[in-house]
Amino acid sequence: MQSPLRVGSAAATLLLFGVGMYAHSADGPPQAQSYYSDQGADTCLGCHSDATVTEIFRTKHARPDDPHGPFGHGQLQCEACHGPGGGHVKAGGGPLAGMLDFGAKATTPAPVQNAKCLGCHQSNAAHEWATSAHAASNVACASCHTLHNAKDPMNNATAQIEACTSCHQAQHTDLSKPSHHPLLEGKMACTSCHTPHGSSSPAQLVKNTVTETCTSCHAEFRGPFLWEHQPVAEDCTNCHNPHGSAQPALLKLRTPFLCQTCHEGAGHPSIINTPQGLPGGSPSAFLLNGGCINCHSQVHGSNHPSGRALMR
Amino acid sequence: MNASYTRLAACFLNLALAGMAAPASADESNVDPSTWKCALCPFPQGYDTQTEAGTQYADGANATYGRYSGIDHSGVYAVASASGQVRTAEGTYANYDLEQLGLASREGYVEGGREGRFDLRISYDGQPNRLYDTGATSYQVNGTTLTLPAAWVPAGSTQGMRALNSSLSPLRIESDRRTVALLARFFVSPGWTAYGEFRRQEHDGTGMTSASFLTEAVQLPQPFDYVTNSIETGIAWAGRKASLRLSYTGSWFEDDSDSLTFANPYTPIVPGSTQGQLSLPPSNNLQQLNATGNVQFPWATTLTYGASLSTLKQNAAFLPLSTLPGQGATQPTSLDGDVHLSHYALGLATRPLPKLSLRGNAAYDGRDDKTNPLEFAYIVTDTFPGGTALTPRYSEDHVHLDGGADYALARWLRIGVGGKLDEIHYGPGQVVNWTQDAQSWGRATVTPIAPLSFTVKYGNALRKASSFDAAALPPEENPLIIEYNYAPRDRVFSTFTAAWSITAALTWSIEESLAKDDYRSSPLGLQSTHEQRVSSTLTWSPKDTLSAYVDAGYERLFNLQNGSTGDTTTPWLAADTDRFWNAGVGGRWVPQARWTVTLDYLLAPSYDNNESIVGGTQQAFPQNWTKLDSTRLGVGYQWTAATQIRFRYIREQYNSSDWSLNGVGPATVPNLLALGVQPYRDSVNAFSLTVRYEFGRDNASSHATP
Repeated sequence: MQSPLRVGSAAATLLLFGVGMYAHSADGPPQAQSYYSDQGADTCLGCHSDATVTEIFRTKHARPDDPHGPFGHGQLQCEACHGPGGGHVKAGGGPLAGMLDFGAKATTPAPVQNAKCLGCHQSNAAHEWATSAHAASNVACASCHTLHNAKDPMNNATAQIEACTSCHQAQHTDLSKPSHHPLLEGKMACTSCHTPHGSSSPAQLVKNTVTETCTSCHAEFRGPFLWEHQPVAEDCTNCHNPHGSAQPALLKLRTPFLCQTCHEGAGHPSIINTPQGLPGGSPSAFLLNGGCINCHSQVHGSNHPSGRALMR
Repeated sequence: MNASYTRLAACFLNLALAGMAAPASADESNVDPSTWKCALCPFPQGYDTQTEAGTQYADGANATYGRYSGIDHSGVYAVASASGQVRTAEGTYANYDLEQLGLASREGYVEGGREGRFDLRISYDGQPNRLYDTGATSYQVNGTTLTLPAAWVPAGSTQGMRALNSSLSPLRIESDRRTVALLARFFVSPGWTAYGEFRRQEHDGTGMTSASFLTEAVQLPQPFDYVTNSIETGIAWAGRKASLRLSYTGSWFEDDSDSLTFANPYTPIVPGSTQGQLSLPPSNNLQQLNATGNVQFPWATTLTYGASLSTLKQNAAFLPLSTLPGQGATQPTSLDGDVHLSHYALGLATRPLPKLSLRGNAAYDGRDDKTNPLEFAYIVTDTFPGGTALTPRYSEDHVHLDGGADYALARWLRIGVGGKLDEIHYGPGQVVNWTQDAQSWGRATVTPIAPLSFTVKYGNALRKASSFDAAALPPEENPLIIEYNYAPRDRVFSTFTAAWSITAALTWSIEESLAKDDYRSSPLGLQSTHEQRVSSTLTWSPKDTLSAYVDAGYERLFNLQNGSTGDTTTPWLAADTDRFWNAGVGGRWVPQARWTVTLDYLLAPSYDNNESIVGGTQQAFPQNWTKLDSTRLGVGYQWTAATQIRFRYIREQYNSSDWSLNGVGPATVPNLLALGVQPYRDSVNAFSLTVRYEFGRDNASSHATP
């Protein structure tokens, strides 16, 4: 007798297989009452010949030798993305007559725009788009990407940050905080850490977890160490604010106060630090320069056999 | 665990089969585009290149100004960049883009291949990090050994170190990160792509660390030379109704120096304690297998899935227990660290009705530290024996569930609700067994007229924790404190956003958010945090030749914590308030065909106020503050069709005050021999004059699609 697990698995396979067959047989709603132009791009370029349109010929989307691209042999050229343009041509321009327009202010709904893009870009960019926060918020691909530009601004760090912070405005303030990652300087982009096309990690990170994302560049803190500091192993954002901070090293608070939010042990960890510890009073090593870090410098973990208190 | 892996694998296989069940079908049967000539299409052929060359003079530049650009001293710098492309009629091509070639922040790529068949790309990115140029040290750096001058006079405090002032040498805390990447992709068919990438990151320079000899501490320059090599290779497939990507990632971090040995500048507390030794980050490696993809069903329903299994290993040789005489090698000689990481995720998004969208995600992250705990009779700060301790290992299982629904009640009103559950189960030896954070929220978007919309979101979250096990704390720790990542917490949050296209040329947007965390169930430690943010932007683009913006932001962060030196003493409080502003204005203007003018102004001050309250008496620290005042002007003149002359001017003033650094020299603190770095300041005027020349662009030609 088959185990329930095997039977269930087989039934699920058949069910999903059947659903898959159904899904493939149903190619979505039929096209609107429209038809393609007579000559493809030559028809379009007869009217739309300005540089804002023809710049697309300097992009990957308009390569005549790419058999899979919109301008490859036998492909639908402009109408591959914009949809059948025959009605639009017959009307002498003007109304879109069933064609698609793209961008945040387009009349075509974002899911319809995106379905067109995803028709080709599932494999390289958007496996997890459907369940992403951007999809849920009806963000169109073309709200960020500009296909008719020779260089998609999303491939330029500065332009990308400008696009992201046009909605995520709080992060725009973060950029100019005293301690920050080099985004304002163009040496990192939002996509250095986040994947706007969706991911199953928190905040749509490029790696599975916060710690994995941070240590992909800061691998010296990856460990495992002989003596671990539990919050470090758990999540870097326990202590750091990666978008920017007024405190050194992107810390949420400055030492010793940050450390004292968790450590109140007998002796010096429990002592209140006051302005009397500043120069002019009795300068205190618990307070000045690195504070706690002056001694416990291996705060990310120590591989020293005597590193129990993260001092070696 | 094996059974669950098997079930999971079967599930993924089923999903993949479901998606692969039928071939793709076409829906363009009413047209034969193979007859379309594309005779008017200006496909570029041959080559075109844009080059820019000139000089930049920066007056007053220092580490503050050049932190991430490398323009870190007054002087002349070369400005050079080039970009372009080469294409043949057969579909082979090359593109390149090389920027900031005269600076340490240079970056660029060269890529080439055959359209739609394969491509290769090599890239380089230089990232300087100039941290401080105001430090000084008496240490002489010999590799990873720091020695003091022969004439050094040890003392019990920094004031007694008579040779200190005469032996100080300037010290720059700075590093460079250089990344080279080589990527190859093969487009096997419209649905299949195979790819591989090798990436090498070198990070070297001098950092800042510190160490102590029991009651005395010293800040040290730390030379370092890290290399991280990583590879990622995989295949990706996409059909019309499903997709899948399988990949392998390997990352090897190498640090050739496993220790930093430094002379003790103080009079040794115990005989023989004349030097100390720090461990440096150990070499480690991460190996990871990943699978992600989706399956699409009818009714605009998509199921996404992901799985990832990783091992993280580290086995660098241990240092001796101490530099004190008579300390031999430790047993065992290395950690044999072995951590297994796992990540599984499923997501579902659907639009069963045109007005209704639903979304849900479930993810599991596991960290299983399989490293054997080791016991050491440790030596405290190379000074005296401290006892015996067992190394703790930290494991956890983290489950995230989140979901939401949006419904369009009317053309002008869309509402949404959602929730999230984060549950962490901690391994043995931690102060709680689990925490559970449950969050819910509601959202409404109102669009009274088409160009104007408001969104209001409100939510709260409650984090609960298992009973607190004070026995898991180190013996010296106060049992009344619950670390804030374990502590029960109440959170309320809200956001308000609005966007208004006032006219076709004028748009305005605002985002405001509030969040409040309450940790009051922890007797000591972090008690509460408040966060307020507001940002707004106004843009004006009346025509292609003119655009302008004004933006501004404000943020306030507040933290309150308390502590106590003992059960019977009066608790103390500490409060921290951070406030930031940013205000920018700028635009682009093309007054006539040959001229282009750009202007950006940014003012960004920040203030940090710390207060200590003991016995009801408030004691305020001096205010820490920063102020960035930056103006950037660019003027371009199109001299000929191919030649543009560009002038840029940057004026930046950065000033700051930080009580932890202000006036703290090497000997200011009796028991801290410091490097004496000072808060960031600069006042820079930078000018650049360059010529941009473009050639080959006329090669673009119309030709028929083959």
